[in-house]
Amino acid sequence: MADVLITVRLPAPATLEAAMRRLGLAEDEVDAAYGLVPVDPARDLYVLRVTEDAGRRVGGGADGGPFSDPPIEPYGPPR
Amino acid sequence: MRVLIQMRPSPDLVAAVADPSVPSTTSDVADGLPGVVLDHSYAPVAVPRPMPAAPGGDPLSLNQPLVFSMAPQDASVVVRGEIADDEVASRMALLPAARRDVVAVYADPAIETTLTCAGDPAVGDWHDVERLLCVPDLAAEGLDGSGVPVAVVDTGVNAAYLKAARGQDVAVDQERSWSPQSVSGTPGDFPVDHGTMCAFDALIAAPKASILDVPVLLTRRRGGSTLDGLLSDAIAAYAHLREVLDAQPAESRALVVTNSWGSFSPRWDFPPGSPGNYSDNPAHPFNLIVGSLAEAGADILFAAGNCGRQCPDGRCAYPDRPIVGANSHPRVLSIGGVDTTGTRVGYSSQGPGRLAGRKPDLCAYTHFAGSGALGDDEPDSGTSAACPVAAGLVAAVRSRWPSTVLSTAQLRTLLRRTADDRSAVGYDYDYGYGVVDAAGVIAALRRRAAKAA
Repeated sequence: MADVLITVRLPAPATLEAAMRRLGLAEDEVDAAYGLVPVDPARDLYVLRVTEDAGRRVGGGADGGPFSDPPIEPYGPPR
Repeated sequence: MRVLIQMRPSPDLVAAVADPSVPSTTSDVADGLPGVVLDHSYAPVAVPRPMPAAPGGDPLSLNQPLVFSMAPQDASVVVRGEIADDEVASRMALLPAARRDVVAVYADPAIETTLTCAGDPAVGDWHDVERLLCVPDLAAEGLDGSGVPVAVVDTGVNAAYLKAARGQDVAVDQERSWSPQSVSGTPGDFPVDHGTMCAFDALIAAPKASILDVPVLLTRRRGGSTLDGLLSDAIAAYAHLREVLDAQPAESRALVVTNSWGSFSPRWDFPPGSPGNYSDNPAHPFNLIVGSLAEAGADILFAAGNCGRQCPDGRCAYPDRPIVGANSHPRVLSIGGVDTTGTRVGYSSQGPGRLAGRKPDLCAYTHFAGSGALGDDEPDSGTSAACPVAAGLVAAVRSRWPSTVLSTAQLRTLLRRTADDRSAVGYDYDYGYGVVDAAGVIAALRRRAAKAA
């Protein structure tokens, strides 16, 4: 289950494949449907969603993560 | 925070305060207390000293027979004032040490009628909100939301329902709307629910705005409730909104993003202090993309949440400081809720925020009979309703003031400065800088336009 986020810096045009190669991630460790999402174009910063094990393995290096991906809910009506 | 300050001035002064025939003022007793805005309308009050009734009693115990002495050498005097919310702890500790005549500083909690809570009937209706937001005056200035996209990041919008409820056409911009891959459906044609309420409330002040439907709370996850999503969906949505913003010509750049959602519990988050944490960590990717989108020219508003101390939502699980993550981001407006009488609703979350201390920023109207999207007799409620009400006012401003002319930071400052302040010290953790004041906004924009001419 893909349940954490990691960030990676890649020069444009970045692709999910390039990110996986850079981070040493296998296909079954990455949420390909989520893809590679730009966070801050000015800083060439992207985020991808990976399994918790993969996040632990590749996070904490030159790139960022693993970061939590908590559920979000509507703030209303109050119960 | 309102406080009572117990003082022990000279016996002559205590005697004067205790004598009802002698007029005395706060200035006679206390002046220049550092960090305290004294309330000069409050006449100082002499307070007797409790003393043991029997000789040899414990002078410090209240659990014994007592007599109360109003003798000038025994009694003290109480005055009233206010201390800035973010200085309360230090001022309360330092005042008795810095001033020998200060005995102690106590909280002076407001004695209020019961605040509006979940389950209470609506307080007023959306036409009252229209009146309070001076919508005809905004329209007369050309501030009606024309040409301004308002992204409703929520559970999806139903345009047909909105049109029927408002009695006028509603523009949903399908081309610039966005859904997570797991969500099927057409923008503007989702089931009537929370997102439709938010769109309705944004349109009160900005009836001609274009709604961008962004149903991130419709994604399904294992074990989740019927209406929730993941923060990663919101990151993807914001990446899309960045493209929307960047595609606009500079001379008309405007994008308002309203977010009536958040995280109720630390259970699914890494603990504060962990590098991967969301609630307290400005380096989390969602907090980064929020800052990046705001920097690029989007006005981003978040609901403060429904975890107010008086009647919190049952889902609230943070033990304190419930305005977390992006809801407390320094580059967003965090919106608390007041009813149409201008009184804070009891469930509106109080500050300080976790990323920025001074949260909420502002309050806007909620708990009124509005869209009916949550049920025929259900008010538009929660800070969920307050946030899009404020977003509508922002969108109204943007119809004539694009972010290249009035930056997002300048607009945030303008809204804070013109807000109807609900305390004597300019900022408090209940109301923030105050309740949004459309008349004040109009006047400030007129002054700005005159200066630029």
